[in-house]
Amino acid sequence: MAVREAEPVGSLQEVKDAGLDREDLLGIYRNMLTARAVEERGHILYKQGKIPGSFYTGRGNEATSVGVASAMAPNDVGTPLQRDIGVHITRGLEPWRVISQYMGRSDGPTKGRDGNIHLGDSSLGTYAMVSHLPAMLPVAVGMALAFRIREEKRVAVAWCGEGASARGDAHEGMNFAGVRRLPVVFVIDNNQWAYSTPSYLEFAVEHLADRAAAYGFEGVVVDGTDVLAVYREAKWAIEKAREGGGPTLIESVTLRMEGHAVHDDAFYVPKEMFEEWAKRDPIERFRWWLRDNASLSDEEEDEITSSVKRTTNEAVERAEESPFPDPSTLLEGVFATPEELDTPHHK
Amino acid sequence: MPEKTYLQAISDGLRQEMRRDPRVFVLGEDVGVYGGAFKVTLGFQEEFGPWRVIDMPLSETAIVAGATGAALMGMRPVAEMQFADFVSCAWDHLVTVAAKQRYRAGTPIPIVLRLPSGGGFSGGPFHSQNPESSFAHIPGLKVVCPSTPEDAKGLLVSAIEDPNPVLFFEHKHLYRRIKGDVPDDRYTTPFGEARIHRAGEDVTVITWGAMVYTADAAAAKLEGDDVSVEIVDLRTLIPWDRETVLDSVRKCSKVLVLHEDTRTGGFGAEIAATIAEEVFEHLDAPVKRVAAPDCPVPFSPPLEKAFIPQVDDVAAALRELAAY
Amino acid sequence: MATRTQTEVVMPQMGVSVSEGTVIKWLKQVGDHVALDEPLLEISTDKVDTEVPSPGEGIVSQILVEEGATVDVGTILALITPEGAIGATPESEPVAPVTEASPPTTPESVPAPRAAPEPQPPRVGPQPEAGDNGKTFVSPVVARIAAEHGVDPGRVPGTGAGGRVTKKDILAFIASDESMKATEPARPEAHVEEPAAPVVPEPQPAAPAPAPTPEPVAAVAPPPEAPKAPVSPQPVAADRLTDVPLIAGESVEPMTAMRRGVMEHMRRSLDTSAHVTSAIEVDMSKVVAARERVKAEYQTTYGVNPTYLSFIALATVETLRDYPWVNAEIRGESIVTRQFVNLGIAVALADGKGLIVPVIKHAEDLNLLGMARQIADIAERARTKKLLPDDVQGGTFTITNPGGFGTFHGTPIISQPQVGILGTYALVKRPWVVQDELGNDVIAIRPIMNITLTYDHRLVDGAYSGQFLRDLRERLESWED
Repeated sequence: MAVREAEPVGSLQEVKDAGLDREDLLGIYRNMLTARAVEERGHILYKQGKIPGSFYTGRGNEATSVGVASAMAPNDVGTPLQRDIGVHITRGLEPWRVISQYMGRSDGPTKGRDGNIHLGDSSLGTYAMVSHLPAMLPVAVGMALAFRIREEKRVAVAWCGEGASARGDAHEGMNFAGVRRLPVVFVIDNNQWAYSTPSYLEFAVEHLADRAAAYGFEGVVVDGTDVLAVYREAKWAIEKAREGGGPTLIESVTLRMEGHAVHDDAFYVPKEMFEEWAKRDPIERFRWWLRDNASLSDEEEDEITSSVKRTTNEAVERAEESPFPDPSTLLEGVFATPEELDTPHHK
Repeated sequence: MPEKTYLQAISDGLRQEMRRDPRVFVLGEDVGVYGGAFKVTLGFQEEFGPWRVIDMPLSETAIVAGATGAALMGMRPVAEMQFADFVSCAWDHLVTVAAKQRYRAGTPIPIVLRLPSGGGFSGGPFHSQNPESSFAHIPGLKVVCPSTPEDAKGLLVSAIEDPNPVLFFEHKHLYRRIKGDVPDDRYTTPFGEARIHRAGEDVTVITWGAMVYTADAAAAKLEGDDVSVEIVDLRTLIPWDRETVLDSVRKCSKVLVLHEDTRTGGFGAEIAATIAEEVFEHLDAPVKRVAAPDCPVPFSPPLEKAFIPQVDDVAAALRELAAY
Repeated sequence: MATRTQTEVVMPQMGVSVSEGTVIKWLKQVGDHVALDEPLLEISTDKVDTEVPSPGEGIVSQILVEEGATVDVGTILALITPEGAIGATPESEPVAPVTEASPPTTPESVPAPRAAPEPQPPRVGPQPEAGDNGKTFVSPVVARIAAEHGVDPGRVPGTGAGGRVTKKDILAFIASDESMKATEPARPEAHVEEPAAPVVPEPQPAAPAPAPTPEPVAAVAPPPEAPKAPVSPQPVAADRLTDVPLIAGESVEPMTAMRRGVMEHMRRSLDTSAHVTSAIEVDMSKVVAARERVKAEYQTTYGVNPTYLSFIALATVETLRDYPWVNAEIRGESIVTRQFVNLGIAVALADGKGLIVPVIKHAEDLNLLGMARQIADIAERARTKKLLPDDVQGGTFTITNPGGFGTFHGTPIISQPQVGILGTYALVKRPWVVQDELGNDVIAIRPIMNITLTYDHRLVDGAYSGQFLRDLRERLESWED
């Protein structure tokens, strides 16, 4: 089957049909702004020497991350990657904890044990990524397996970069998911550059979504800068999975607007590409759509913008007060204790 | 008390746990319809259905990572690698995700990997290994190596209960050759507790898995020489029972560390180093190791015999130690 | 980190492998106002060039690192004082930048690494060799039990390999000791203490195949911390071994292991070899002059003192090449000669503790500097007890220097299984008959040293040894650089 390319979203009515009201739309807008603000702030903090290690941003990916996450149900789960801070924000991870994580403080989700975007909060249904991409993809498939075994109406969402899709874990995970028609949705963040490697050196097909057919399910390509289109496709795929329709592969195309990490200035990306995709900035796009189709007013916009700014500033202050982890705790938690499984979740 | 083979003990233990706890399920290659390459799960799919005994594609990563994902959602998966040797295909997942998850992300991963290991039947390089030491080296993984049917069942139940990733090495050469008394009811055998397989005074052998029986036969030979050999069966490597080992060394002052895995970097090196560090002043001879030599497991019977530590090899080493 | 009075601007880490950065351009100067996050300076690192946004708002009060300077990540680059707090004194010192321009400091005349003999890991648990040495090896557990009970393992009959004392042996000995104690008059409690470390076992001389393994003169490695129990002199009511009661004014102490070793070796050497000593007087003036010439340079450039012994050792090794039987060994009725010289140098240990003979392997490969270095090194290690078992084994010829205290002659004992030992004595200024430029006899003051060769007359005859000494003297008396 030829891969379907998603239509952009037009009117507010279409959006209502997809189940979003105006409040939801403003919420999506706010989440996108928050995702960007947190990363911009982190970027600066990193250059000020306040964040150790490396720093990654998902600038340009706000629509994909927030759009998909907004389509998930509260008890769905996901394994987002390094361009997907928008997923964490949308699922409810507070910005001050994100910044605490960046700074290696005890109040970060990993308590300083891991850094930058390797965060997750199981109570919010997000599970921290690892560096060996896309190792968490077959794990998400395992989560879907549990749902299938227990016949629960829950869905797992597995994110994967276009570069990461070259690795065996992606194949094994998708293949198994297709064989068993598991309730999992695969989202490929195709931002066209894997560090310095362009897509044509990562895969030989035109669209990664083409591969879905090889695994026995449907694929769709969507403009990753159009948050509503992303939302619509994600919603459709997630609900299909929930009802037993098996996996879908959503390839969301964007451009990675910054380097692989802050220490990379992406000299290898042609300037024209940056210029062209800057015009399609997902936040700007959505802002204009809201003004045109949802009567977003100046006051509302200002309120949202300044509230995001406030939240971000407070987040930095609060994170800076969070203590560094105590070295005497270094060896704690290598192994879990039985009591830790004594939760309703594990029963 | 009923007598069961090592294999039956494992099978019974697993079946009992699956009956008791609906969260426990099995996934692996050929475990369902076929009953498992070694028939450990024979009859399981008929009893528990295809969604609790899952025939997986040839995808070790999908199997082990799938187990991790399911465990994060509250299941208790027992994954099977058809041969322990194939666990290397899932090595990345184990050491990158499963081992580190609790430490760095706070979420326990209660999975069990059943790994038919060991050689002695011309299995060749890829069906005969004991890949225990590389995992013992990775913090966050537990490594279990039962030698008796009774321990195999009890340790498997403990493994399923344990909230951490457990690599359960079942020595396949013991599956049908070794029988023992195995209680029918449910019981657990604790990790980190060695078992004195044979009490002695003059030399002690620290070992695990199939080598326990090799050591036993060697010890019997030394009775004629009036040498009393103690055998300590570690049963679990991570965690391992340092105190019992060190006490045994304090008592006998001469120690042989024995394992079927290859010598360099084998877990015996860790034990030997610990003995030298902790009870140096109780040693009446150097700490000796007997292990397979540093080469892949060969196929042809005379080669394999030269590879796997034999009763005579162990007896010779014991005599040397005794005479020192 | 910001304090109340100022904010520090630090060099950020742009990537995990980056450890330093270079300041390219300051976008603000001292006295300028800067806003929070406003670009403050441009930096360059291995990975990327970037701007650094200001971490604080206020006035730039100090710039600590200049443009062009490269500093480590984390270095404070500048200080910003919030407005209204101007005049607060900066707390931190300017950091001296590590610039590429400054040349790396050259180390001052570092002595070149000494060609030290390869250290062998001490074989704490070697298999004791068959032979009469087995008794001297004490395993850790036996050492500990011995220390705990104040028992000298040397007195315990050994049934282990090579006759060593096993754990069973010493436990049995103590058990029978206990029962005998019941019949003894009470002894003051032997001094028992936890040994700081188990007894360092005697080194086993590497048996050169068939010969019974002999020991060098001192027979032992760096003097072991002997089990304390027998060492401290204790008045004993009765000495069990000799049963000779002491009289007033006498006290008794057991021998140390080293002394026992020396005792045994000396007797055995005299009983084995047919010791004969020949002597020759050597005019050392050329050597003295040569030494004067090189001494300063050796000290400053190499940190080595070229002793007279170095010169003599060098000349001896050369001479031995022409007289292989002095460097040989008798095995049964065969003579083993060598193409190499493993030169033993006798070193006296402090406080009369004994003598030890470390060996310089392949001394024939060394020049004067090398010889001087080796001698200095082994002497140092002997005195600081850093010799390894390998260092005292395998010697083929020995030089001893009893003349350190002024004696001018002696008859050293050969170190088995060697057949010769050279003795050097005090260098004494003497009136000496020499030829003047016309060939007439005149008296001059010359530094004269007596040198002896003690040889085993079973192998070496008088004429051979005399020729050896003659040639040695010739080399020393005609020393050129």
